[in-house]
Amino acid sequence: MNALDRLPSLRAAASLCTLAVVAAMSTPLNAQQFPTKEVQILIPYAPGGATDLVFRALAASSQKYLGQAVVVVNRAGGGGAVGFNEGAQAKPDGYTLTTAVTPLAILPHQVKTTFSYQNFAPIINVVQDPAMLQVQAAAPWKTTKEFVDYARQNPNTITVGNSGAGGGVHLIAAAFEHAIGAKFNHIPFAGGGPSVTALLGGHVNAVSVSPPEGIAHVKAGKLKIIALFSDKRMADFPDVPTVREQGIDFSMSQWRGLAAPKGTPPEIIKILHDAFKKGMEDPTFIKSAESMSVTLSYVGPADFGKLMAADHERYAKLVAELKK
Amino acid sequence: MLESLQYLLGGFAVAMTAQNLLYCFAGALVGTLVGVLPGLGPIAGIALLIPATFGLNPTSALIMLAGIYYGAMYGGSTTSILMNVPGETASVMTCVEGHKMAQQGRAGPALSIAALGSFIAGTIATFGLVLIARPLADAALAFGPPEFAALMIFAFVVLSNVTGGTLLKSLIMVVVGLILGTMGMDPVAGNERFSFDSAYLLGGIEFVAVAIGVFGIGEVLSNVAEPPEQLEQTVVVPRFRDLYPTMTDLKRSMVAILRGTGIGFITGLVPGPAPVIATYASYMVERRYAKYPDEFGHGAIEGVAGPEAANNAAAQSAYIPLFVIGVPFGPVPAILLGALLIHGVTPGPLLITESPQLFWAVVASMYIGNFILLLLNLPFVPLFASMLLIPKRVLLPLIMAFCVTGMFSVNNSVLDIWMMLVFGAIGYVLRGWAYEGAPLLLGLVLGPKLEVAFRQSLMISQGDFSIFLTRPVSSGLLLATAAFLLLPVFKAGWRRLR
Repeated sequence: MNALDRLPSLRAAASLCTLAVVAAMSTPLNAQQFPTKEVQILIPYAPGGATDLVFRALAASSQKYLGQAVVVVNRAGGGGAVGFNEGAQAKPDGYTLTTAVTPLAILPHQVKTTFSYQNFAPIINVVQDPAMLQVQAAAPWKTTKEFVDYARQNPNTITVGNSGAGGGVHLIAAAFEHAIGAKFNHIPFAGGGPSVTALLGGHVNAVSVSPPEGIAHVKAGKLKIIALFSDKRMADFPDVPTVREQGIDFSMSQWRGLAAPKGTPPEIIKILHDAFKKGMEDPTFIKSAESMSVTLSYVGPADFGKLMAADHERYAKLVAELKK
Repeated sequence: MLESLQYLLGGFAVAMTAQNLLYCFAGALVGTLVGVLPGLGPIAGIALLIPATFGLNPTSALIMLAGIYYGAMYGGSTTSILMNVPGETASVMTCVEGHKMAQQGRAGPALSIAALGSFIAGTIATFGLVLIARPLADAALAFGPPEFAALMIFAFVVLSNVTGGTLLKSLIMVVVGLILGTMGMDPVAGNERFSFDSAYLLGGIEFVAVAIGVFGIGEVLSNVAEPPEQLEQTVVVPRFRDLYPTMTDLKRSMVAILRGTGIGFITGLVPGPAPVIATYASYMVERRYAKYPDEFGHGAIEGVAGPEAANNAAAQSAYIPLFVIGVPFGPVPAILLGALLIHGVTPGPLLITESPQLFWAVVASMYIGNFILLLLNLPFVPLFASMLLIPKRVLLPLIMAFCVTGMFSVNNSVLDIWMMLVFGAIGYVLRGWAYEGAPLLLGLVLGPKLEVAFRQSLMISQGDFSIFLTRPVSSGLLLATAAFLLLPVFKAGWRRLR
């Protein structure tokens, strides 16, 4: 076939494409019909982390309630900045959602960003993971009190690993030392996994982590939870008291939820919220959340917004403190 | 030990069921495809397929996911040899000799040796995993930040002149790589470095963009710069009787494969970018002890056999810390750990005693998977090699399209594609002045790791440098580095004295 013969068919194909594009653009934003195509979840981290695993499972369990496929897209980089930036600038039509996780409340204080939680409309919070300090099972401290006393008497001696400088668990450990009037020696690692490895090898004295990190080793008796920062005891470890029970007024957790770009119509937020809520309650999702040792915690849109705002303020102070 | 072998036989029984064989095959096949597409590496491949395994039982799921991992390790060699496009860190060294071989019409033997080397390495490493897993895994935990920093220094000194070109030019490229590696968010204090207020640069320079750019795009550009007549030609016409390696090829590769296996198996146990160090080290050793040193840089088969064996062995032994002590040492084992948790399996000291069936079935399936890969790949060697029969004016745009798609698949980022093209242009210029890409990539990959380990060590010791000397493993590594640097000086002095 020579080029001339091919031309008409090419032209036909081109006009078909144009038609399709025009048709897609002129579809009215009608909440009654939403969703008419697949919904994307932007995850600002590389595949395989806790956020990624949780929302991949949620996407799988929610699509039947939403009536459309839910596709997970990873946009890693800049400690999450790249993905949040893109998510905030997406079209507010409910088809591009972003996972709203604690670093969203931290990053704007640390680096120059074009976004904050205010650029997002909250949909639902899914997971709230307790933060904690873990030490080797053979460590000399038996209780939170012994650990805290030692830390107060020996400033800058206890090395505490974290998953990255300025990340959630680093700031939580810094907030805790502030609360008890001690000083740790914070050692950043490239992720929670490597910090736990260093603790197992005895290269640091403690790590600041959130489940599922280190939990398997606690169950295997290699590590123990020396300070638990949640409001309630953990279902997996009913014998481990929270620090609040022991007279230290302190609790912190890390949230993982979903948000849409600001300006998304409330009717669409409601449809999304309802579908993901059902997805959260789906037995298959509950089962995979259990096996990942993450703590499910449903929070509706209004309260999730308040939670983000409160943590935004809290981390602003913590970051300023650390930068001194 | 005997007990282990008994369990292993039981594992074979589980792995050989029709269902598990099917998943093993599927994993190896998908892995090969993932490896062949530049950019899309084993990490993304496994992550994307985890949800697909939700319905399977844990053993079948893990067999399939493991298959993707070693399949990808093998698949990477195909594009490296045929198009000079490394899909991931572990196949950079394969480009160096492998593509030269392809240009001489010896793509077939290069591909076959890569498959054979991977198979032999995989087999030996699987048995290593069975026999000596426990003590090795415990020893590996002794690697903390100071040991890691010392190892990185050792790697830099020994490997910087890996391709054996001009020492000065190699060092310049290593330094350029180190400088590029400092861009983005500082890994220790979280400060912005050279990011020019761009959210994209905050994440640092994407390694894959540099690798595909400097090697793949650079190759295309330098072809385009040639006189237009050559575009009508093919890369080379492979002689079809040369599709499979000769007896001489096999003999020369055998030692290289065995050495590569040893190097890969040991480095796989060290936390961090094991496959990179393993492939560079293996190439270095082969070049140093080569019987035909003149062939290096011009398509030496040992330079393909060694590194390919090394990366497979490293991939295999990286399972040891994961299974035996429940600690992932690299990004791929980390993502497998996540997959295991979803399936309700907790890797760690208790895994072998609590679910011996699962553990030994997976080990057995690795061996079977390596065999499947060999069967899968050897028959396709003529097909892949005949790709080079396509005239360059058709092949080069295809390679471009392939690189662009592959790059996009890594982060779904258009900016990554621009970055890749920029490095393609840089690669073309460097090629003209005989600067090598391999040392640049070494600096880019290892630089940030060295920085982190070095600064962590000093934070732990509160600024005291003696932390590197008082710990036996790190001081041993530093002594070895010093010996490596001083030995040539002493040798020269000794000769003069006599």
